[in-house]
Amino acid sequence: MMSLEQFENRNVSESGYYKVDIESYPETGWEKAKQVFSRAIRGELFVGLWVVMREMIKFDIHTVQYPKEKLPVGPRYRAVHEMQRLWESGTERCIGCGLCEKICISDCIRMDTKIDENNRKVVSEYTINLGRCIFCGYCAEVCPELAIVHGGRYENTSEQRAHYTEYDDMLTPFDMALKGEVPEYPGFGAVTPHEDERVKSTPLAY
Amino acid sequence: METAYFIETIIKIVVILLVFSALAGFGTYFERKILAFMQRRLGPMNVGPFGVLQIAADGIKLFTKEDIVPTNAVGPIFKIAPVITAATAFMAAAAIPFMPQFTIFGYTVHPIVADVNIGILYILGVMAVGFYGPLLGSLASSNKFALLSAARAAAVFISYEVVTGLALLAPLMMVGSFSLIDFNNYQAGGVGDWIIWSQPVAFVLFWIAAFAETGRTPFHLVANDHEIIDGFGTEYSGMRWGLFFIGEYANMFFISFVIVLLFLGGFGDGSVFGALMFLLKMAFFFFFFLWTRAAWPDIRPDQLMWLCWKILMPLAVLNVVVTGFVMMF
Amino acid sequence: MSEITITIDGKEVKTQEGELILNAARANDIFIPAICYLTRCSPTLACRICLVEADGKQVYACNAKSKDGMEITTSTETIEAEKRAIMEVYDVNHPLQCGVCDQSGECELQNYTLEVGVDSQSYAIKDVDRSIQNWGLLNYDPSLCIMCERCTTVCKDMIGDGALSTRPRGSDAIDAEFKESMPKDAYSMWNKLNKSLIQPNNGETLDCTDCGECSAVCPVGAIVSADFQYTSNSWELTKVPATCSHCSAGCQIQYEVKHDSIDAPEPKIYRVQNEWNYVSLCGAGRYGYNFENKVEGKDEAAFAKAVEAFEKADTIAFDSQITNEEALILQKLKEARGYKLINEEARKFAAFMKAYASVSGNATFKTPLKAVNDANFVISVGSAVKTDNPNARFALNNSMIMNKGAAMYFHPVADPVVESMGKNIMAINHAPMQEEAVMYLILDLFAKKDVLPAEVAEYIASFHSMKTVTVTETVKEKVIEIVKEMKVNEETGEEEEIEVEKSKMVPKKVQKEVEVDDNRLLEIVGAPKKFDETMEKMLKKKDTFAMMVGPDFYSHPNAANLARLVALVEKYTAFSITMIPEKGNSLGVAMICELDESAGKYSVGYNVAADFVLSAAGKGDLDMPAMNQQEGTLTSIQLRVNPTNAALPYEGYELNDIANALGLDAKETIDYTEMLGAVAGFKAEKFDDLPNHYTNKGEEMRGYALEITEATTVDENVEKFDEDAAMKEALVYLANPTLQFNDFTNMSHQLNEEVGLYVSSDYAKANELAEGDKVAVETTKGSLELHVKIDSKIGGNIPFVPSFDSNLNSEALFNDYRFCSATIKKV
Repeated sequence: MMSLEQFENRNVSESGYYKVDIESYPETGWEKAKQVFSRAIRGELFVGLWVVMREMIKFDIHTVQYPKEKLPVGPRYRAVHEMQRLWESGTERCIGCGLCEKICISDCIRMDTKIDENNRKVVSEYTINLGRCIFCGYCAEVCPELAIVHGGRYENTSEQRAHYTEYDDMLTPFDMALKGEVPEYPGFGAVTPHEDERVKSTPLAY
Repeated sequence: METAYFIETIIKIVVILLVFSALAGFGTYFERKILAFMQRRLGPMNVGPFGVLQIAADGIKLFTKEDIVPTNAVGPIFKIAPVITAATAFMAAAAIPFMPQFTIFGYTVHPIVADVNIGILYILGVMAVGFYGPLLGSLASSNKFALLSAARAAAVFISYEVVTGLALLAPLMMVGSFSLIDFNNYQAGGVGDWIIWSQPVAFVLFWIAAFAETGRTPFHLVANDHEIIDGFGTEYSGMRWGLFFIGEYANMFFISFVIVLLFLGGFGDGSVFGALMFLLKMAFFFFFFLWTRAAWPDIRPDQLMWLCWKILMPLAVLNVVVTGFVMMF
Repeated sequence: MSEITITIDGKEVKTQEGELILNAARANDIFIPAICYLTRCSPTLACRICLVEADGKQVYACNAKSKDGMEITTSTETIEAEKRAIMEVYDVNHPLQCGVCDQSGECELQNYTLEVGVDSQSYAIKDVDRSIQNWGLLNYDPSLCIMCERCTTVCKDMIGDGALSTRPRGSDAIDAEFKESMPKDAYSMWNKLNKSLIQPNNGETLDCTDCGECSAVCPVGAIVSADFQYTSNSWELTKVPATCSHCSAGCQIQYEVKHDSIDAPEPKIYRVQNEWNYVSLCGAGRYGYNFENKVEGKDEAAFAKAVEAFEKADTIAFDSQITNEEALILQKLKEARGYKLINEEARKFAAFMKAYASVSGNATFKTPLKAVNDANFVISVGSAVKTDNPNARFALNNSMIMNKGAAMYFHPVADPVVESMGKNIMAINHAPMQEEAVMYLILDLFAKKDVLPAEVAEYIASFHSMKTVTVTETVKEKVIEIVKEMKVNEETGEEEEIEVEKSKMVPKKVQKEVEVDDNRLLEIVGAPKKFDETMEKMLKKKDTFAMMVGPDFYSHPNAANLARLVALVEKYTAFSITMIPEKGNSLGVAMICELDESAGKYSVGYNVAADFVLSAAGKGDLDMPAMNQQEGTLTSIQLRVNPTNAALPYEGYELNDIANALGLDAKETIDYTEMLGAVAGFKAEKFDDLPNHYTNKGEEMRGYALEITEATTVDENVEKFDEDAAMKEALVYLANPTLQFNDFTNMSHQLNEEVGLYVSSDYAKANELAEGDKVAVETTKGSLELHVKIDSKIGGNIPFVPSFDSNLNSEALFNDYRFCSATIKKV
């Protein structure tokens, strides 16, 4: 059971927050003059000057030169979807159950399925209208096969609407899968590391 | 008039114009870079090595941008206002000795356009006229933010002219001349002769007033981006806006020269070392403009007025009085 | 049957004596889980999940009958434990890939697993190989099968094919420890489940009439349509309630519609579903759904021509595959502009009903087909029920199985499907043109002679004579034998031969002369030997009688006389009469339109050949919406007016537009639904007020029931029949194969077939014909060339000439009667 205990303590200071010490505003002329002197003479201005000078000298630059350099996105970040393949065999993970299509709140997923020559259900066509997608992540959450996940490709500008819906662009490249280069997917939609503890055991004697 | 003197003066004018126009451009580059470093950023990086050619890119941009004159603007005034700013900045430079005199091919060169005996008065006067640039530009723009800027400009300039003038009165009393060459020569004896030691209050007051005159942070209220867009520059585009910019940066250089000449010994004895020191001292004051911009907040117009009339002006008067008494006895 | 009160979970419930507890509960909205039970079929007792406690005793609700004052508890601790164990057992080795299963979302296993709250599994057994099988139109996935046996039950009890049975699963025995630890019912249910799987009777593929009802009743995704499988999830499909228009049964169906594909967003029918607890579909209804007329838009030029043609025409020819509203539009056009309305098939049906009315006093037949389901003695005359109206065939079969009934099937063509319904059906293949003899025989057998009109009674009596027959009787005689035996002499200890007298009973055949009543009618209709004995057995414990009259009668040269005989049967016997209308809406058309006998000079045809043709099949001069693209009502054999809805959009012109151009005024075709009230029998109800569903009690809430109007009776005179008219030469019969009714069924992609001459395998053997041979069929009216198709569902030696393909124009070969003498030669 989820409990709300952790939210009941409203003493924020314990969790690393503290109040900024704000001086009261000067009211009399004398107080104002004192404030001017304390700020000008006591050196608050010079502290500022010192701080920026110090940083310039340290030259500890934090700029990421974006198109040339890219920061890694967090694993739980929900960017453009990826369709995963099975780690070893390289076959598509998607079984065409249609749950993502059903759960999608912006109604941007559609799939066509059919029966293949091995009597299995296959997805013959799959589209996500990324122009409409709100990246809520429900599709990845609901997917029983860890097939649709949110990848890290957050750059999704295009001059063509059609580019937002290409299934092949989303699928992990097959040659990559065959070479075993597809990493086990840790991102949004993957199982959490402690998932095992939550699964009920059943007798699998056979 | 000697023809040689005439030619020499023309050449000096052209050199000053070209050099300080270019310096204004480099000034923007340095400002961006220094602000960036102070804020742990990189600043311009993409045009040319380390972004140096950003100046060229900006220049091209400003020159090629459409020159827009708003429908309701007062055309002639709107058009001439930036020219006033730039022109007065450069005109003020006429009385500034940028270097000690030197001899080239047996010809003695005075690196000052006009060593008039009222140089300081001239500089202060011309710089004060520069205030018409923002004021007229604002009023002619037919823009409410520009109008606010005009009001602020009028208030700030008029107030701080007082501080500037009163602060300079004491050194002037000591030197007894309006010529900057005389000021320089007065302090030529070495560091100990610098007026800053005898007139520290005047130095500080003048320095503070310089920020107001150039409209730099913390007295940037004439064109505070977060309050009144670009103030007087709101309706300006292209090179007209660029002229405001050049004027501002040229002013910063010139006032830096002036501070050094007035209080910090100028070029001293006129040696090469002195000349180098002169440029270095000037560079420090220019750098300080950028430094404060990175470190300090802007203050409100009322605070600015309060500071001027209630703190700085009385201090300046007091300084004059004290100097007078000291000189009397 | 009397009304009683029982108490279920403290709620007092009124029901009938002997009603199953499950049905009583369902009718009163009390939920008792049940997986294997089918409402109109016999209880299978496979799932055992319908356990309830009745008067303190655990019984199965699907099997136990209610008694007055019964106290029923649906939930006790032990019952809940059983349910939980049963659902766990069902989940043993059931694949968890619900995602790919077609049934997911409407799966009873899913529902009950959640209902019972199975969240862990206590049982396990080694799985066996259960690979997927293709059964033609269906796919069977044994790994999903939970052995509820609903498919075999419905096939046997309702459809009458009996094409499915169980086969051994071949798995290990259940671990012995479970016997002790498991709840009892769950264990025995598992024990049974663990031993069997489903298979077609002949092993590999289904040999049946392809109704697909097994796939409809399957609670899981084990039996699914091969065409539909994996194309859509059930929840994506929009369900459009409609009425099947292919035959007169007017079954309630749901068209299930979804966009075609990602690239083609227009709607498409994916499948047809039915309320299988209350209505069973035939294959044509289930698979014949995509016959829509795809039209780009309004073809104004063709419309202008159509209006022009209507203005020029003096005749409108049409068939009975139209709605009541369209029939009314045509009738109104006739009234307004004096058109002749030509629809021979409906006209003959109307004439038949009129002749019937002149004796019976009812304008139409008055018993719906449901009476056949409820009867325990059924007679079918004049109809190849299997193809004329599959639901009539289901009713026939259902009555025999559920009511332990018996039936007589009179038809010239032997039907293996009917014969296989069981030993309680007597199929009599009389000669064509001897239908009157059949009717006289029925009167003879079932009418009380003293109330029959005197002439009829006399005429019947004239066929009876007494004759002496030699009967062989078996008599048991006592015979005394002297047998020599070896016996040990007790005194001497030696063995000696002694003679012993022994008596024994020996059967002995004795010839005997007996006087019996000889009924020559039996001989005329070709009744089997020992007819009297069989009849005696069949009639035991029978109290409800129903008779179905088929389309052979309507087109019969002596139709009027037959109709009057039918009316006499209704009047003087216990039989109720149900007439099978030949086509989808023949009854409605016959009631609404005044039809003319002869056509004029220039005719406009609606779905039939004419000078200017309106066609819903896209074959004419102006396109019309097909039945799945229009709203309207259809009149069914259940004597109901059923609404049907448009499953697919239609962009073109419809008959109403033409009628408006010709001076009528109605915004929509369904505006005529209310106007139907002016026609005798119909009610003035608005289309949008017509319901189309079944209640939990099984009440048919569909449209409204026709009112049976009275007609004036004339007399009860019937004519004698001509024994010599019997057609004994080589014949052909105008009838369709199973799954085909008309152009529309044949347009559907799953049913499409090339038209042929359908023959029985016996006939093919006798005439040395093989599948695909080209033959010429020649009658006095013309000839046709057809390919031979051997149909295992036809018997006897009369080939079928189909009428489902209008390009063939097979009706032209025949005189009015459905039988016709013909020569068939191989070419």
